[in-house]
Amino acid sequence: MDLQVIQKSKITHSQLVKYAGASGDFNPIHTVYPVAKKAGLPDTIAHGMLVMGFAGEAIAKWFPRKNLRKFDVRFTNMTFPGERLSIYGKIVDEIERNGENFLVGEVMVKNEQDDMKLKGIFEVKKELELSYQ
Amino acid sequence: MIEVKEKIGMTFEEFTFTIERGKIREFAKAIGDDNPIYYDIEAAKKAGFRDIPIPPTFPTVIEMWAGADFDQLIQLLNLNPLKVLHGEQKYEYFGDICAGDEITGRTTVINAENKKEMNFITLQTNYKNKDGQTVLVAQSVVIEKQ
Repeated sequence: MDLQVIQKSKITHSQLVKYAGASGDFNPIHTVYPVAKKAGLPDTIAHGMLVMGFAGEAIAKWFPRKNLRKFDVRFTNMTFPGERLSIYGKIVDEIERNGENFLVGEVMVKNEQDDMKLKGIFEVKKELELSYQ
Repeated sequence: MIEVKEKIGMTFEEFTFTIERGKIREFAKAIGDDNPIYYDIEAAKKAGFRDIPIPPTFPTVIEMWAGADFDQLIQLLNLNPLKVLHGEQKYEYFGDICAGDEITGRTTVINAENKKEMNFITLQTNYKNKDGQTVLVAQSVVIEKQ
């Protein structure tokens, strides 16, 4: 079952500065252009955790935040300012553990050219009446 | 150069962080996450929380602001900062973490290996609440290119 696609607005250099301050990740490769250049990059790159944050936003919109139990991702490509990312998800399985039911989902973050930035899985506790959108 | 494997078992100093509503708001805003449960106490309560809950990736805030930040991590693990990438991140959630909670974390290097001329270092952080219950376990894979 496919979940509703969530589109994010274009990533800006300012957003990376904001995210650096909010998260405390001050690796200059994300915010300081000369450092990014020295690392051989064409521009600063988004924090992988910002992209995972987008995926987390989507999961907590698809399902009640309280039900999230597991969230594992792999970062597959770098993201640069100017890119517009979307989050895709689908339910791929249903499992039982210790008498509780969980839905297993797949989450992917891609840019407009369909380049994969992040791929992951998540597990949410299944509720009887409050079901997903 | 020291073998990357020798880093396995390294443990960093324990750290404690008090979760604040303002920090949650700042973090959610930086992501552009407009979910009302991160901004509005009534919405949070309606969603079943004691107070404003943390977004799923907020543990990175606890780690970076209270534990080893990027510069310290680079020093502790003896990495080249220009060659470091975040490869993977995993979270397992065992209990709610909300504003007002005091969370203690401890980070250990659980794996370190060299594959395809790159170093892969896996860090695990266990987070406990004031009652000593494990509420969250985080794992991150840091990649150092050669």
